[in-house]
Amino acid sequence: MADETLLSDDFLRQLMNVGEVDILVGLSTYNNANTIQPVIRAIQSGILKYFARERAVIINADGGSQDATPELAIAASIDDIWNASKVYALRTLHSISTRYAPTPDSGTALRTILSAADLLRAKVCVVISPDATSIEPDWLQRLVRPITVDKFDMVSPLYRRQKFEGVLMRNVLYPMTRAVYGYGIREPYASEFAISGRLATDFLSSEIWNDDWGKSGAEICLTVAAITGNYRVCQTFLGTKGQPERNANDLVAVIRRTVGSLFASMDRHFAVWSVISGSQPIATIGAESEVTPEVVRVNRKRLRDMFSSGVAELKPVFESILSETTLAELRIIATLETAHFKFPAELWAKTVFEFASSYHKAVINRDHIIQALVPLYRGRALSFMLENRDASGDEIERSVEILCGEFERQKPYLLETWADRK
Amino acid sequence: MKREAAWYKDAIIYQIHVRTFFDGNGDGIGDFQGLAQKLDYVQQLGVDAIWLMPFFPSPLRDDGYDISDYRSVHPRYGKLEDLKTFLSSAHERGIRVIIELVANHTSDQHPWFQESRSSQNNPKRDWYVWSDTDTRYRGTRIIFLDTEMSNWAWDPISKSYYWHRFFSHQPDLNFDNPAVRDEMWNVMKFWLDLGVDGFRLDAVPYLIEREGTNCENLPETHAVIREWRKKLDEQFPGTMLLAEANQWPADLRPYFGEGDEFHMAFHFPLMPRMFMGLRLEDRKPITEILQQTPEIPASCQWCLFLRNHDELTLEMVTDMERDYMYDIYASDKTMRLNLGIRRRLAPLLDNDRRRIELMNGMLMSLPGTPIIYYGDEIGMGDNIYLGDRNGVRTPMQWSGGGNGGFSTADPESLYSPPILNPVYGYQAVNVLSQQRSEHSLLSWMKNIIRSRQSSPVFGSGSIEFLHPANHRVLAYVRQLGRETVLVVNNLSSAAQAVELDLRRYKGNILIEMFGKNIFPRIGDLPYMLTMGPYQFYWFRLRRI
Repeated sequence: MADETLLSDDFLRQLMNVGEVDILVGLSTYNNANTIQPVIRAIQSGILKYFARERAVIINADGGSQDATPELAIAASIDDIWNASKVYALRTLHSISTRYAPTPDSGTALRTILSAADLLRAKVCVVISPDATSIEPDWLQRLVRPITVDKFDMVSPLYRRQKFEGVLMRNVLYPMTRAVYGYGIREPYASEFAISGRLATDFLSSEIWNDDWGKSGAEICLTVAAITGNYRVCQTFLGTKGQPERNANDLVAVIRRTVGSLFASMDRHFAVWSVISGSQPIATIGAESEVTPEVVRVNRKRLRDMFSSGVAELKPVFESILSETTLAELRIIATLETAHFKFPAELWAKTVFEFASSYHKAVINRDHIIQALVPLYRGRALSFMLENRDASGDEIERSVEILCGEFERQKPYLLETWADRK
Repeated sequence: MKREAAWYKDAIIYQIHVRTFFDGNGDGIGDFQGLAQKLDYVQQLGVDAIWLMPFFPSPLRDDGYDISDYRSVHPRYGKLEDLKTFLSSAHERGIRVIIELVANHTSDQHPWFQESRSSQNNPKRDWYVWSDTDTRYRGTRIIFLDTEMSNWAWDPISKSYYWHRFFSHQPDLNFDNPAVRDEMWNVMKFWLDLGVDGFRLDAVPYLIEREGTNCENLPETHAVIREWRKKLDEQFPGTMLLAEANQWPADLRPYFGEGDEFHMAFHFPLMPRMFMGLRLEDRKPITEILQQTPEIPASCQWCLFLRNHDELTLEMVTDMERDYMYDIYASDKTMRLNLGIRRRLAPLLDNDRRRIELMNGMLMSLPGTPIIYYGDEIGMGDNIYLGDRNGVRTPMQWSGGGNGGFSTADPESLYSPPILNPVYGYQAVNVLSQQRSEHSLLSWMKNIIRSRQSSPVFGSGSIEFLHPANHRVLAYVRQLGRETVLVVNNLSSAAQAVELDLRRYKGNILIEMFGKNIFPRIGDLPYMLTMGPYQFYWFRLRRI
């Protein structure tokens, strides 16, 4: 059930006016005025083109923007008073906005969107990132139809990415989720996805909202909830995914939100994942994930230096988290010159599993554990880029597949450390 | 009958086909004798005027819209004397009578056409539109797409092509010919002298043809109308011309001229949008088309209808809207005809009493003169398995007895089989049983007709749409002088809450017009109403 206390009276009044809908599109925003207009236009076009007869609403959950983002979202309404884009629509399309908190918080934003979906009895709830500037109207039907036509409960995206975009996804989230939960879901932490009304309602009533880790990584918890709850999950190819610019400090927050939440989910779902071995593919609609050869420029030396200094400076922390052999191997590769640097898949899988187990045991403060993973991830990211410097898209996919195989192969080690480690 | 000017603005019109209403002589076909016998029923219904569909001599290949003699009555329906008797009986009851003037075309059996085709030199040759080729006026659309391939038909007798906008057995008259215009005025004069109160002019936009145009709504057509209107005003003041022009509002507007062409015109685009708005549960289609509707001269009026003798026409909607309407209201392709849906009101609305009432409520409260199609006041059904539009022209259901009380003839000799199914058949749906119940649809219709007639605001008042944030609610204020009525319609199948901005009416109390109950006084805050599924309110605003 929706948590009514989450929703302001004004937002409730707006929802009352919208009434029951078939499709709800949610946008979690914070100062996105520069990008939201083309995104919302594409959403509007997608609804009008592919779902002209369906009752739809665009809901903007805003975290306190100072740049008129909510006003731009509201302007997308099409009704008998205000039709900003002068487009033809069979029926009213509401676009409403609510400020859920004075500061941005993606978990609360998602919860607000899901609460609205629950109250409006939406058959499909689509979430789109406000900086998804590469969005096409076609995304709407690719995300919605698998739910309305094929009766899936969750539609996860597949993208055409540049060569070294999505490194965290390829090196941690995908292989880890796949090995632990047994499903080859490529984007377990998706910024664009769709879920059925049933899953939205069920997920709203889950325990994760009482947990800081759950709230901060609600998207990945949603994926895990769909997998572990035996909901029908599929993937759909959306096309190019633009990568928003982030500074280096963002990485800590991103890993906290993604890997941290993934680790936290393992606590809750041990009974489910502990009996799974190997993995199974999930239904995929459209092309598989694609890689384009364009290379993003990366400061390799800086990455290597951050890795090496991290290994050295965090030695006491790593001694609490990692096994002696793993730490010894890390110290060896920390001495390698950039040109010869290699963080092998086998060592990386073992390292991540030991972090997961330590997180489970809370050997030290859990947030410190997550933060300690960041320099090691930088090392793995550097290694991935060096290994695939001249690789084609297919070769990169093969390399990711090998890494996933390594995670799956070492899953018994994860179970062993999970149980035994102090 | 007293010739009041602008009587049509406050009127409610009841559309009847003589053939379908009541059989007075027991031959299985409705007639004027029978119609006269049922005038008490029409009077009790509370309507102000009857619109009669064509009753003239005709081969009846288009249900009388193919006239072969403009100055007489089809023998099946009686004699001219019977019509005169009916006319005077109607007038005695205060009911006006509007008849059809199918001016655009005649039957190919009309003596005029027979003469015209007989020889290139015949004096009536130029009464129709002839051509040696079928390539003229190429920019003209074909209206009856299901049956006609061209607007030209080859006449083997005169070895040339004749122009027809409808069926090929309905040649178009040539209104460029002054003799044709004069003769048509003489036809009008003939009926006006007998006492009819107005004409519904069929297929008005197509009177004149011009190369390089779509042959619709041409200035020359308007000139013909103005010519007739001038004579009408001079010689028969208080009579009325109603245009049948299935056009967009902006294209219809010229038919009112400066108050010197038609008195009334059907608002064709509104009707499908009322059905659309109801099914979408969204007021947008209705308010949009009304916002696009231009102002008309003060003496003029729109004619509103839900259903009539034709298909529910979908010419004045977009392709997307048409597809939607077909899918929602005519999923069985047998229900479709030309660009429309051949169904009656009750079956279109799944026989849902609440929706039937809501649609009638809007019909009676939106700006215009409402027309009720015979049988819809009792919720009659249709028979989609009868050809053409005959499925909505079945015998009126008067009672649960033989032939539904329509005729004493053998059932086999009826002009059309009556509706017999368990839901809409005459044993389930008939006047007699509904007259016995205060809660029947018929009783409800009488009540709403009375309510509409209780205020001139509906016929002549202005309209101002309110725009509550709840798009499922259609709300508007009708105003005339000091009289103000607030109308609120819930288009949704679910209960709705709505907040109305009524600050400009602050201090007024609302009096619900059906139950006469008082609602709270309007203050500074938005006026909150809760409404049941498909519920509607009419509130008279009073400052006490």
